[in-house]
Amino acid sequence: MKKIIALAALAATVWLSAAFAAGTPSPPGAFCYIGYPNEGQTMAAGKPFRVWFGLRNMGVAPKGVNYPNTGHHHLLIDTSLPPFDQEIPSDRNHLHFGAGETETTLVLPPGKHTLQLLMGDYMHMPHDPPVYSKKITIYVK
Amino acid sequence: MPVRTALSVLAVICLTAAAPVPHQSPSPPGAEEYIIWPPDGAVIHGGKLWVRMGLRGMGICPKGVSFPNSGHHHLLVDTDLPPLDQQIPSDRTHLHYGAGETDARVELAPGTHTLQLLLGDENHVPQVPAVYSKKITIYVR
Repeated sequence: MKKIIALAALAATVWLSAAFAAGTPSPPGAFCYIGYPNEGQTMAAGKPFRVWFGLRNMGVAPKGVNYPNTGHHHLLIDTSLPPFDQEIPSDRNHLHFGAGETETTLVLPPGKHTLQLLMGDYMHMPHDPPVYSKKITIYVK
Repeated sequence: MPVRTALSVLAVICLTAAAPVPHQSPSPPGAEEYIIWPPDGAVIHGGKLWVRMGLRGMGICPKGVSFPNSGHHHLLVDTDLPPLDQQIPSDRTHLHYGAGETDARVELAPGTHTLQLLLGDENHVPQVPAVYSKKITIYVR
């Protein structure tokens, strides 16, 4: 009997995680953009620069906070969009702003870099449909 | 002794009742609220604009949710700062962004207008010290 209950619980967990893998719905018209720097801009090497996270028709909430039509920003550096049905990786190319930050300061090595924003829900999962910015290219010289 | 105890209990009750000051959350040192756009003195044609709300050293969290070092934006239009130890009023001159919005769509009548941001905690009460932006003036034509 205990085994059956355990199996049922396991099945329910698997089913629930599968159901939630679809992601939190994003509101219609949600729009994410990089307010600064601008596409193609050249930044001075060794000098920290600010990155502005823009979001319209949607709100910001810290990680772990399940509030309708919100998420938190993830800044993708020199990488493409990750799979939308999985938790956004957390590494040097995928910076999480789980405290609800709406800007950051970056220092990048000289060269060509790309920046892109991707919203994640309270569990760091992209929304459905995903909300991400245009990928911009900047130059550090 | 029981009389003294009763009196001190009464005193505590009276003191609590005499202080209508709501609980205030602390703000981290260096926290700064500012208007990214429009710039001070901007001329807006048509009166419809997106106000981009900037916050440094703190995060955004929707109303009703307690999260350390966070708050939500309030846009003050054509008005001065309200009392900083009370709940921020909610009316046509004190716009609340309790869903964690960081871009505000506003429509203003032709003329001179002032804009100022004031951060509020989960109960719409300013932090200590209060986090607010410079007051800017814009012209709608």
